Amino acid sequence: MEFQPPQKYTAKLQDKIVHNDKFIQLHFELSEPHRLSFLAGQYVSIKVADRGDRRPYSICSAPVVDHSFELLVDVTPHGVGIEYLLGLDFGAEIELLGPMGRFVVPDMPSEQALQFVATGSGIAPMRSMLLDQLQTKKDTRPMTLYWGLRHEEDTFWLLEFEELAHNFSNFSFHPVLSKPKEAWSLCRGRVTDCVKTHQQPEQAGYYLCGNSAMLEDMINILKDQKVPEEHVHHESFF
Amino acid sequence: MTDTPQQSTEQTKQIGKYKVAVIRDKCISAGSCTHIAPAVFELDEEGIATVISQDGNDDETKLLAAQSCPTMAITVTDTETGQQVWPPQD
Repeated sequence: MEFQPPQKYTAKLQDKIVHNDKFIQLHFELSEPHRLSFLAGQYVSIKVADRGDRRPYSICSAPVVDHSFELLVDVTPHGVGIEYLLGLDFGAEIELLGPMGRFVVPDMPSEQALQFVATGSGIAPMRSMLLDQLQTKKDTRPMTLYWGLRHEEDTFWLLEFEELAHNFSNFSFHPVLSKPKEAWSLCRGRVTDCVKTHQQPEQAGYYLCGNSAMLEDMINILKDQKVPEEHVHHESFF
Repeated sequence: MTDTPQQSTEQTKQIGKYKVAVIRDKCISAGSCTHIAPAVFELDEEGIATVISQDGNDDETKLLAAQSCPTMAITVTDTETGQQVWPPQD
């Protein structure tokens, strides 16, 4: 798989969806150049301070739309990047470098199923990958998404993923809450516990994105299960 | 020119106007530097960014790579003035 070197772009904020107190979704329309060719799972590096600081944010939209891109951001860590993004007015122009990253779904026939495991905003690249594999590439391999969040109040996109599962019979979705209310009827506990309770398909490729504890746990679980290293893909900057 | 790899947590090499260095303890293997300046940085077998050449990419690209590091694990020094260009020391 060939990765193009990143280049500079400018883009304008077109829309901001506040999902809840923790997560926002930002929609940027490209200005110059006006098209961004990227692979699902890649990220952009946004200039977030006049002195030059940049921060990486995964693209959560599908690559088929190349005149704009969307980001999903966890706003709870109040760093320079979040302060910058929260302060943007509609129409404000940003400068970015992209696309970047090798956390993508390779054209690897040996992966006969795709297992996606995310926590928190680690869902961002997974959404892009799933939309790309299911809707654009018409990939018929079995795919499962395990997504761990803390509280029910943190959830969003549940209907979107459920609708995707309804429309594509090869896709299933397991939201997992670590601190659910009693009424929560789906998986509870750590996302890795939910993965372990389900039968894992043979010859699967695993795509992991989220906090470092989850990544470490999942990598150890997969090592114990003798999953080949080349079938384990993870993003490490979250 | 001599290299002194692995003797401290800061790995440096010196060629050209801008000298980049990786502070190994700060690197989280994000890989932004290797995407922006692939002829200057690569990830070693431990997944830590390492400097493979000071003149593989131009100074502007080296600075962008350093500024893209989310943990500020890369320093840039102007060898003509001796000033640290990134992160700014203000």
